[in-house]
Amino acid sequence: MKKKVGQVTPEEKNEIQQLFERRNGLNELAKILKADNTELYEKLVKDMGETGTKFQGWWDRMAQKYQWESAENGNWEINFDTNEIYLVS
Amino acid sequence: MLQYLVIILDDTSVAYCHADNPLEERNLMPLETLKKGILFGMKQNLMIQYVFPDYALPEEYASIIESIDNVKIYPIGKKPDTGLNDESEADVEVAMDIPENVDAQNLVLRLSFSEMLKQKDEIVKLFAQGKRINLCITDVEQFADEQIEAYKQVLNEWNTALLDLYKQGQSPQFNLLTDRMMLEKMHNCEAGVSNITLAPNGKFYLCPAFYYDERMQVFNQMNHHQPSSDNSVGDLEKGLDIPNPQLLKLNYAPLCRKCDAYQCRRCLWLNRKLTWDLNTPSHQQCVMAHIERNASRDLLNDIRKVGEFMPEINIKEIDYLDPFDVRKEF
Amino acid sequence: MTKIKDSNEPWKGGMAKNITFIVTKDCQLACKYCYLVGKNVKERMPWEVAKTFIDYVLDHETDPDFAYESVVWDFIGGEPFLEIELIDKICDYIKTELFRRNHHWFNSYRFSFSTNGINYHEKAVQDFIKKNREHLSIGITIDGTEKKHDLNRVYKITEKGSYKDVVKNIPLWLEQFPFGGTKVTISSADIPYITESVLHLYGLGIHEVNINVVFEDVWQEGDDLKFEEQLMQLADAIIDGGYYQDYSCSFFSELIGKPMDPERDNQNWCGAGKMLSVDAAGNLYPCTRFAQYSLRDKDAWIIGNIKDGIDKNKIRSFLTLDRVTQSPQKCLECEVASGCAWCQGENYDAAQTHTVFQRATAICLMHKARVRANNYYWNKLYRKLELEDLREQYEANKREVKPEIC
Repeated sequence: MKKKVGQVTPEEKNEIQQLFERRNGLNELAKILKADNTELYEKLVKDMGETGTKFQGWWDRMAQKYQWESAENGNWEINFDTNEIYLVS
Repeated sequence: MLQYLVIILDDTSVAYCHADNPLEERNLMPLETLKKGILFGMKQNLMIQYVFPDYALPEEYASIIESIDNVKIYPIGKKPDTGLNDESEADVEVAMDIPENVDAQNLVLRLSFSEMLKQKDEIVKLFAQGKRINLCITDVEQFADEQIEAYKQVLNEWNTALLDLYKQGQSPQFNLLTDRMMLEKMHNCEAGVSNITLAPNGKFYLCPAFYYDERMQVFNQMNHHQPSSDNSVGDLEKGLDIPNPQLLKLNYAPLCRKCDAYQCRRCLWLNRKLTWDLNTPSHQQCVMAHIERNASRDLLNDIRKVGEFMPEINIKEIDYLDPFDVRKEF
Repeated sequence: MTKIKDSNEPWKGGMAKNITFIVTKDCQLACKYCYLVGKNVKERMPWEVAKTFIDYVLDHETDPDFAYESVVWDFIGGEPFLEIELIDKICDYIKTELFRRNHHWFNSYRFSFSTNGINYHEKAVQDFIKKNREHLSIGITIDGTEKKHDLNRVYKITEKGSYKDVVKNIPLWLEQFPFGGTKVTISSADIPYITESVLHLYGLGIHEVNINVVFEDVWQEGDDLKFEEQLMQLADAIIDGGYYQDYSCSFFSELIGKPMDPERDNQNWCGAGKMLSVDAAGNLYPCTRFAQYSLRDKDAWIIGNIKDGIDKNKIRSFLTLDRVTQSPQKCLECEVASGCAWCQGENYDAAQTHTVFQRATAICLMHKARVRANNYYWNKLYRKLELEDLREQYEANKREVKPEIC
């Protein structure tokens, strides 16, 4: 079941979309980067940690700000085209 | 509307604009072709402009040439002898260096950019002769943004000289700086619109440069797959046949139709050579024309400090040199 | 709670910089309507060319030509997946370099493919898809029923139809790209098969059918009326069968068939000049349609090369093109002008002179036929919805078919 529970601003959407894209990019880069490329590998590991933290931080911040409805075993998802937040359970 | 017919009398006729004439072998227009060309001009009510080579034409050409009112364009010091003395005010002498004397009322001075800079002080001396000076830069395509300041500077120096002449009550005419001050709308080359060129082969071309390119088999594209086999736009037998004629007009040139560098040549030949589209000017042509426009504005303002001058003309201040850079505002 | 995203709209709404690698001019097929007149097996892109090109593009991050928030790296052929090893290497290099250079496109890139689908199932292709899954957009071209597809899309030597080899890969493709759309091309001989083909594609599970008539002057007298009849049949089938709720066909759009204002609606249709393409020789083009293998009568419009970069004079006309300047009077006065497309490459190829400012109008009657059928479609659909009291609900949830900008 999918239910609209809120909406974020375009700026807020842009922030999470960029983090989402970066996280995907880092994950796919991780598949090809070898540990012997020390400099780049360390940069990647550090970035993955930072991006993950920022990603989680965005949802925490927004949930706090907007007080979206939640459900046990449910997910929130965002539609990048409409900036709407849905509760999927 | 067509007003002028340019007749290239010989393959070696003098080049009088941006393009050099690379043809070295004489190839005189046959008398019959000349007669038909003149007849075409008469029927279309066109003013004939003959372009002469640097050698004397056979005697039998003189009477034909003078069978109609005309303007003569000829190499400096080689005034054609056609047996008549009714020199036109519009006759043009063409020089590739600073001339000692200028007979005609109009001088086309064809110089490369670097030669122009070198001879800038000599050029100043021409301003006071009471002639119209048309300075034509022959390597526009080589002009680089790094030369912008040098161009601004030389125009500024010439402005000072021209201002002195205005203060003395003279009205010098120098295309790069004084034309724009007099213009309220575009006044460009208008090849194919107000003028058309007849070559010795009896075919029409937008301008002499397109004829040279065809004769030299200059390929019209960078990748050089196909020669430009035929640049002609009709002939004396079938008449004019200009494909896509609308693209020669100002309204069909997105970069030019709202531009106010009214003195710009809008050279179709350079357009095709550099951007591959006849209606689209190159960065070089736009930048040079705007440097001239802005310098004309400075000159106009300086002259007005001395007295009233062309009050109906307003050249506004702009912050770009290439209209392409502000095209979204169009 | 776990947070996921949801989006099936076109990525970045077409506002990204589009950069195309012509990786090969070879293809297994010799489609009869293919505009690529110069396909060959020789011109395969060497790795060094691809690498130098990527370096050139990434070195110019701040240049206005590349000042886009996002980028789509597009791979085209011939058949791009014939060069899957090269493509894999290119994509790995792009990802690594974007990251190493802290390039802003690392946060916003896609790899895009338009394939004939024949070797979609092969291991090398599938490995590539798994590796780059989150950044891929892949469209498989299937023209409809077996009969319609095989009418044009035939193997180059045997002239055998390719339908069976493509259709077997559709389930795998839709499993990986559930919102994948297909591109159908209509030429004169295809007109009688339009309705059955679109319905067939829906039946295969393809929800988005992007379909267009070829821009070339191939149309016979009476084709427009046959076309209109087919589209009306298709309209009936879509409405009566209820397909309009979950499926789309780009022939039907509420945005087409209106007069256009010369000032307000003056934008160019095509993105040529804003896009950038590179071929095996390292030559750069404003769009692949200006490469020599795409042109019948004109020379390639090469705007530079990977060593010297872009000659900006050669893209000035593209970036100043507008609708009014390139259109003949009949188009400017046309009462049903909106949605009537053009291809800048075909305009150039068909023009009387060396220009991109002469709009080809070979599709004029076909567009007008489409508009008539389109009007029929919307009138019929809305009447049905009103009678069923479902119009409001439909309006709220409808999938908007945007005109496909090339």
